[in-house]
Amino acid sequence: MSQSPLARLNDAHKRYGPVTALDGLDLQVNRGEMLALLGPNGAGKSTAISLLLGLQTPDRGSAELFGDAPQSLDARRRMGVMMQEVNLSPVLHPREMVAQVASYYPTPYRAGEVIERLSLEKIADRPYGKLSGGQKRQVQFGMAIAGRPELLFLDEPTVGLDVNAREALWQVLRDLIHEGVSIVLTTHYLEEAEALADRVAVVTHGKLVAGGSVDEIRAYVTRKNILCRTALAREQIAAWPEVQELREDSGVKHITTRDAEAVLRRLLAADAQVRDIEVKRAGLAEAFAEITSANPAAGNGAGNSR
Amino acid sequence: MNDTGSLMTGGRVLAAYLGDMRLELTKMARTPAFAVPTILFPALFYLLFGIVMGGGRGDGPFAVQALARWSMFGTMAPGLFGFGVSLAFERENGQMILRQALPMPAGSYLIARMINAMVFVAISTLLMLALAMFVGHVPMSAGQVLRLLLVNVTGVLPFCAIGLFMGSMISGQAAPAIINIIYLPMAFLSGVLFPIPNKFLQQIQPVWPSYHLGQLTLGAVGGTWAGELSHHVAALVGVTVLFFVLAMRKLGNRGISLLGRPRAPGAASPLRRAVNLVVLATAIGLLLLGVMGGTASHSAANVAATSKGESVDGSAAPPVADSSTSPLGVAAPESPVIAEFDDGSTRAAYGIGFTATDDKSRGGNSTVSQRLVEGGADHTRAALEVSGDVGTAIQYPFVGTSFLPNGQPQVDFLKQGFMDYSTRHTLRFRARGDGKNYLVVIMGPQVDAIPGMYGFVAGPEWQEVRVPLHDLGGVDLQRVKAISIGSMTPGEFRFQIDGVRIE
Repeated sequence: MSQSPLARLNDAHKRYGPVTALDGLDLQVNRGEMLALLGPNGAGKSTAISLLLGLQTPDRGSAELFGDAPQSLDARRRMGVMMQEVNLSPVLHPREMVAQVASYYPTPYRAGEVIERLSLEKIADRPYGKLSGGQKRQVQFGMAIAGRPELLFLDEPTVGLDVNAREALWQVLRDLIHEGVSIVLTTHYLEEAEALADRVAVVTHGKLVAGGSVDEIRAYVTRKNILCRTALAREQIAAWPEVQELREDSGVKHITTRDAEAVLRRLLAADAQVRDIEVKRAGLAEAFAEITSANPAAGNGAGNSR
Repeated sequence: MNDTGSLMTGGRVLAAYLGDMRLELTKMARTPAFAVPTILFPALFYLLFGIVMGGGRGDGPFAVQALARWSMFGTMAPGLFGFGVSLAFERENGQMILRQALPMPAGSYLIARMINAMVFVAISTLLMLALAMFVGHVPMSAGQVLRLLLVNVTGVLPFCAIGLFMGSMISGQAAPAIINIIYLPMAFLSGVLFPIPNKFLQQIQPVWPSYHLGQLTLGAVGGTWAGELSHHVAALVGVTVLFFVLAMRKLGNRGISLLGRPRAPGAASPLRRAVNLVVLATAIGLLLLGVMGGTASHSAANVAATSKGESVDGSAAPPVADSSTSPLGVAAPESPVIAEFDDGSTRAAYGIGFTATDDKSRGGNSTVSQRLVEGGADHTRAALEVSGDVGTAIQYPFVGTSFLPNGQPQVDFLKQGFMDYSTRHTLRFRARGDGKNYLVVIMGPQVDAIPGMYGFVAGPEWQEVRVPLHDLGGVDLQRVKAISIGSMTPGEFRFQIDGVRIE
């Protein structure tokens, strides 16, 4: 089997008037892997996906899908897609919609197989417009996989899903990977990327600022939050050199630090009565803040600037 | 794994096309907010204005032509709304973008939508046919039915193109209102549904695609129609291509291609640009040919004069009643005098008339009588007085007094000859009356199109009415069959005329 990537952006540039959406982005999707594309809003994730889907063409650089132009019908017959902001016809039924998308592909699943795999039997023959937001996303996911694609593009697939539905969808994604399908996923949930992705690419300002395995990415995020109830004055805590930020929320102090152990030692030493201590790894938002503020405009590849 | 394309057999591609068509139809059928107005409203309009109020009943030519006219109205809606509103919405809510990403076969969406519009038109026309036959008791031959269906089903295409263009421009929220603003004026200003009492608007009727389609539907049922077939077809093809190309460009700029591959911006080859230009120029040329040709031959004809006995056997070829195929009128006599009414009779100097004419043959209930009265204009002996009551039983009542310059006694109105008045400029006469509005109607060879009309008010004092013959929209002065003076305004009326001259 060919070692060439299934999809690739090579030094891709894209401008919308004065706004630079992509500023020389390199990205590739290899066979059988799940790549999570992370980045703040406006970072260029959607533009990158648009180029790979052939919806737009790069101003400079290139976009390839299965070694072909992404606009090629043959290339598109090998991939499935789930978009974020789509309102489908409210009067059609999920079974009809899945069957129709399947008909565009050479060797699709039967609509019934997709419905069954995603446990959509109860809603398969009801008007799409009457479904909940989460159910709609599941139907759209069904449409994305209906063509038995080799490569799946999923834009925020689990937004609006409840915990059970999300777990179920994750399981389907793991199965698909196991079957050899490659997946490109954009998500706001670090948790989702952690649970599923082989590789993570962080995009800001239209460039790749960090890329690598989930653990490698996680290593960037050294900041932690310490929550506690303490009688110590705010000024006293804020004066410790290890403390980056401090705020108080209904009696609970939130201390942000890169050296949680040092802060904890000081805390326990200074206030024997300290209670309700919790230590949390920073969330995705903080991770982005960290990575992107450390990479204002330059660099690609992992960890070359911090 | 690289030859998946070859696994996509022709059969599977065809199935995808058919599936898209079926899905589009399913969507429309499940959307009563679309289906009801597009199909039922035109049918109700036909029922109300064509059959009930317009008197379009029975076996007269008027009745079958009312069907043809209103079926045109029903054909516009599925094209304009089906393409315009849906496309505007689907463009906004991301569906069009998703379609671009999916490996949908080339042009499938367009074809599905087009078939959809055609099916709607077929339903709309069949519904009106049913109303005509079962409510209006209008006898229809199989040929008439088939031709009317064919003309309407293909005639929806220019409106699809206009809808597509609108849908590429406007927002989904605004689309229904904006398209109505185009739909209704375009339908009514065509003059096909109701006669237009404004000369300028009459003259520009050929600008509207609805005018051209209306002539074709009239021809389809064997009715009389204006202009030439080639002009109408040219105008409709021109509109279709022009708006289609404009819509594709607009959508292309928005990153949407309905024909297949998304166009790479700025990557159009010189050849492609040249082809685009040629297509655009051809479309505009066809459109101009149709509109200009239509304007030139858009001559008067007469709604008011169809006799009930006229044969409208739809199995015969549509009578091409445009001016160029009718014989020229005989040369007018040297003398400008038509009638002075001073010799004790209502007779004109030549031809037949003046004769009181009502609208009973068309199902109307207007009454009219005429007599000579003492004391004409300019102190002459006598004048002709016409009085009566204009009824409301039919859509276009008209009564008055008529003069057939080349008329022969005992000859059916439809077979009466023409007179060539092309060297004359003004029809003049004196008139006085009850202060109401009256019309001079000049009829040419086409008995069912809108005649040349000139309005005047008959006040209490004798006044001269001067009708500028060459400024009346679409009057074929080489072929004048009848000149009538009378009223279309319901109610009682009384007026006198005297000293009728054409010079």
